[in-house]
Amino acid sequence: MSKTELETVQELEEGLRATFERAAASVPPAADLAGRATTGAHNAQRRTWLTSGAAAAAVAVIAAVGFSLHGSSESTPQPAAGNPTTPAVSNATAPSATAQAVTGSWRPVELDGFKALKTARPEDPIITFNADGTWVGSDGCNSLSGTYSIGQRGEFTSKSNGQRLVGCENVPHTAVLQASQRIVSDQKELTFFAGDGREVARYARAR
Amino acid sequence: MEFEEYASARGQELVRLGFTISGDYQRAEDLAQIALMQAFRSWRKVQRADDPHHYVRRILINSYLSMTRRRSFTEAPAADLDTDRTVPDPAADIVNSDDLWRALATLSARERVVLVLRYYQDLDDRTIADLLGIKPSSVRATASRALAALRKTRQSHRVDERLS
Repeated sequence: MSKTELETVQELEEGLRATFERAAASVPPAADLAGRATTGAHNAQRRTWLTSGAAAAAVAVIAAVGFSLHGSSESTPQPAAGNPTTPAVSNATAPSATAQAVTGSWRPVELDGFKALKTARPEDPIITFNADGTWVGSDGCNSLSGTYSIGQRGEFTSKSNGQRLVGCENVPHTAVLQASQRIVSDQKELTFFAGDGREVARYARAR
Repeated sequence: MEFEEYASARGQELVRLGFTISGDYQRAEDLAQIALMQAFRSWRKVQRADDPHHYVRRILINSYLSMTRRRSFTEAPAADLDTDRTVPDPAADIVNSDDLWRALATLSARERVVLVLRYYQDLDDRTIADLLGIKPSSVRATASRALAALRKTRQSHRVDERLS
C-alpha cells in the first residue's frame, strides 16, 4: 500500500470513529429499558405458563373422563377437537392424531422451507392446542390464536384469528396450519401433512 | 450484578450500538429491548459469563443480523408510512448531513456491523470474530471490503459534487 493510500485509509478510519461517536451521541435517552425488558420477559413467560397449564388441565380432564367411560363402552366414537365432552378412546396403533393426542404445547422441530428455527427470539415459538378446539401460540414475537378440528382419521382443518406483525424471524405456525390437511401424532411428535401427502412440519412436545 | 443494575448502567449503550449498526432510532431501541429481554430470561447464565456485556452485545448483533436476513426487512422504509404513528427521529437531522454516515447505508449489514465493532466499539478482530461466529480472517476481509466500498462511494460523491 502506498503512502497516499495509507493516509487515505487512516483518514477514513478517523472519519468513521468520529461519525459513529457523533451518531451515538445523538441518540436520546431511552426511558426505563430495564422495566420494559423485565415486563416483556415476564409477560412472555406468563403466557407460556398459562397456555401450558391450561393445556395440562384440559388433558387431565379429558383423560379422566375417557378412562371412567372406557369400561362402559368399547365402541365409543372418536371425539372431534371441538367437542371435548365426548369421551376419547386411546388407539395406539392408529397413526392419525386424535384431539387428545395433540392437546398440549408443541415446539417446532422442522418446518418445510423455513431454516431459521434456532434463531433467538423474544418469545418461545410454541403452539398449544386446547381441548376445546382452540389453539394459541407465539411466532416468536406475536401472539397467535385460532380454532382447529380433527376428524376420526386425522383430517385437520384450522382457522386463524388476526395477529400483530412485529418483525423478527417469525415462525410461520399459521402457514403450517393453513397448509395442513392431515395430522399424525404419537404423543411425543406431531406431524402435519398437506393435501398431496407432503410433510409440511414436525413438532415435538414442549416441556 | 443484578439485571436491573446492568440494564440501568449499560442499556443506553445498547441503544447507541443499535443505532450505529441500524441507522434507525426506533429499530435501535427495539434491538436493545430484545437483547435485554433475552438476557433477563437467562440472567443467571449471563451473570456467569466472563463479560456479561459481551454476551448481551452478541444477542443484539445477532438479532439485528437475523432481522436483516428476513425477506420483509427494508433498510430504509420510504413508502406508505403511517405518519400518525411515526415517531420523529431526533437523531436523523444531526447525522443526515454526514456523507460518511450516508455511505455506510450502502454497505451490507455484516460489513457495517464489522466496522461499528471495530471503530466504534474498538474491538479487536478476534473479539469481533467471536461475536459474529466467524473467523478473524473473515473479519479482516469483510472490513477491508467495506472500507474499499466506502472509499469508492466517497470518491464518486466528490466527483458528483465537482460536476454539479
